[in-house]
Amino acid sequence: MGQTAGLVQKSMVIIDTEVCKGCSLCVVTCPQKNLKLSESLNRIGYHPVEFHYHGEKGDCTACGLCYWVCPDFAIAEVRRLKQ
Amino acid sequence: MTTLQDKAAGGYEVKLGRLPTLTGKPTHYCAGCEHGVLTRLIANALEELGIREKTVLVDSVGCSVLAHDYINTDAIQVAHGRAPAVMTGIKKVRPDLLVFAVQGDGDAVSIGLLELIYAAIRGEPITVFLVNNAIYGMTGGQMAPTTPTGMVTTTTPWGRDLKDTGPPLDATKLLAGLEGPSYVKRVFLPVAPMGSTGLYSARGSLEGAKSVLNAFKVQLNGGFSFVEFISTCSVNWKMSVLESKRYASEVLTKIFPPGLYIDKMGIEKK
Amino acid sequence: MKTEKEFVKGNEALALGALKAGMNAYFAYPITPSSEIPETLAREFKSPEYPEFKIFLQAASELEAINMVIGAASTGAKVMTATSGPGFSLKQEGISYGAAMELPFLVVDINRVGPGLGNLGPEQSDYYQATKGGGHGGYRNIVLAPNSVQEMAAFPALGFSLAFKHRCPVLILADAFLGQLKEDITFPKIAQEQFETPWATTGARGVERHVIASLHLDFADQSKHSEHLMSKYEEVDMTEQRSEGYLTSDAEVVLVAFGVVSRLCRRAVKELRAKGVRAGLFRPVTLSPFPTKELKSLVDRGIKKFVVVELNMGQMVFDVRLAVEGKGSVDFIHRLGGFLPASSEIVSRVEMISR
Repeated sequence: MGQTAGLVQKSMVIIDTEVCKGCSLCVVTCPQKNLKLSESLNRIGYHPVEFHYHGEKGDCTACGLCYWVCPDFAIAEVRRLKQ
Repeated sequence: MTTLQDKAAGGYEVKLGRLPTLTGKPTHYCAGCEHGVLTRLIANALEELGIREKTVLVDSVGCSVLAHDYINTDAIQVAHGRAPAVMTGIKKVRPDLLVFAVQGDGDAVSIGLLELIYAAIRGEPITVFLVNNAIYGMTGGQMAPTTPTGMVTTTTPWGRDLKDTGPPLDATKLLAGLEGPSYVKRVFLPVAPMGSTGLYSARGSLEGAKSVLNAFKVQLNGGFSFVEFISTCSVNWKMSVLESKRYASEVLTKIFPPGLYIDKMGIEKK
Repeated sequence: MKTEKEFVKGNEALALGALKAGMNAYFAYPITPSSEIPETLAREFKSPEYPEFKIFLQAASELEAINMVIGAASTGAKVMTATSGPGFSLKQEGISYGAAMELPFLVVDINRVGPGLGNLGPEQSDYYQATKGGGHGGYRNIVLAPNSVQEMAAFPALGFSLAFKHRCPVLILADAFLGQLKEDITFPKIAQEQFETPWATTGARGVERHVIASLHLDFADQSKHSEHLMSKYEEVDMTEQRSEGYLTSDAEVVLVAFGVVSRLCRRAVKELRAKGVRAGLFRPVTLSPFPTKELKSLVDRGIKKFVVVELNMGQMVFDVRLAVEGKGSVDFIHRLGGFLPASSEIVSRVEMISR
């Protein structure tokens, strides 16, 4: 999750890691593959999801699909750069 | 959470975010359960309508019995199957309130079938969301009226027998045959596997979001609205989360075809 | 001078009494011998005389009806439903929930012969169900037992008052005879009571919201709630016992009866007195809380003989024995199947006992 020199992320996904149950619905739904379950465990014993702006298939577009499929409000916010 | 965020503070707007219609309490629902998704859809619809302070949620018995712990409105918790009758009572005295219930397939279609059908017959201006995961979830995986023939449950370990228990009951079709309801729809809510790409479609959530909003609008216009959400229960189906989505999309959609069955007010066209 | 007396049937009087008390909603299901209650209300629905009476709806079952009652009660409205034995059984689930959620509403049971379908005659066999809680879990409701058409007219107002004061369901236990009995009565002219309902679920106000629930998975939460209910019941027991005595001040033998049987016993007392037997009548008006205090005071006064007369296999008699605490004899006269004992029969039994 870094910032390419001179470029600013157009979007970001804020994750509430402590409520994530690692169901991976967001992982399999994200068209750019920006989401991945982390290696670490949260307090309730799941591998919470983590956001990578530069996904396997492309950069996050703030489409919000992750927000809509998450059953636990773990995708707490989808932000995009102000126009 | 990241230094990037700090640097960018002020430059970003929240497109989708936290809502006052949610209490923020983490849910007790199992990982990947559509109850959580539906809670999100309901909270967003209530926020969009700006109606939180005029809403009464009726908790039913099943996994949704603690819905009031997550949805931040006035709420009353009622007996198994009785939600449509209680909602009728509330709405008769206070027709200005938005009244809705999230019911499981056991609650709405087994013990509560009379209450559901009669509220629909009378066309009561209330809203019922049916989370149909074809099994009794809360109580640990017993047969439900919507369990497919042949499915193994704790009360049908030999597979549900057509001869003894009849076929699975289609609640949407049943209500669609009545004159009273104004909006009857069935939505496939889970993420659905798309071919062999490994990518899943989120269409269910988006379709669901519109349907929840429409259902509330129909009620506010004086009609009975009912949306059945085909859902999953990975724990009691004894499948992984993603396997359960595949099962629902391949098997349940054939028994319970999604679609718009009644739309008297043409709300989907608006 | 023209008196405003009306010659009314018990069931009708109860219905009109509820209307005059300002009832807002009634949810109906027909069952003999209580059907005149919803029928009377249906006739008066939309009458300009009762502008508070806004909702009348026939449900598909007694179970649906009691749940509609719960919904309406949760908004703070005055709501009632009436039924008889088999329907009363169906309502027990709702009554249990109503007690747990502290909702005020009235349920009327016109006791007919049971168990099962029984018949349409009068009995007092729903006493246990009404007073000891026919639904699951531990709770106590207030149970009023009218014995005249006048009381049938007056008790809905009293019932609403108690229900909203104590936030609990109130049951009116009458019987088939009383429901059909016609008497001259005067409808009480009282102002309709308005009740504060700060707990009602009618939409959140800003940050604050109300939740009416009966499930408390955390044992500490539930035990706190249950202890609160228990102390409420103790308070009700201390403050709401009601009874009526007739010629008890110098009695040697006291009949104990409620409902229509108390009318027979009153006549029997008169006949006994004429024969030189110092008889009296103790009539519980609240069956729950049972008027133990007053009954004990009779015992303390030296009355050693009690005769309980009821239309069942013996239900109230046990509450009387508890109150008497072995300090006197408690005999029992009963009738089943819809019959009423003749007052002469009561007289001869009591004569034997008093010798």
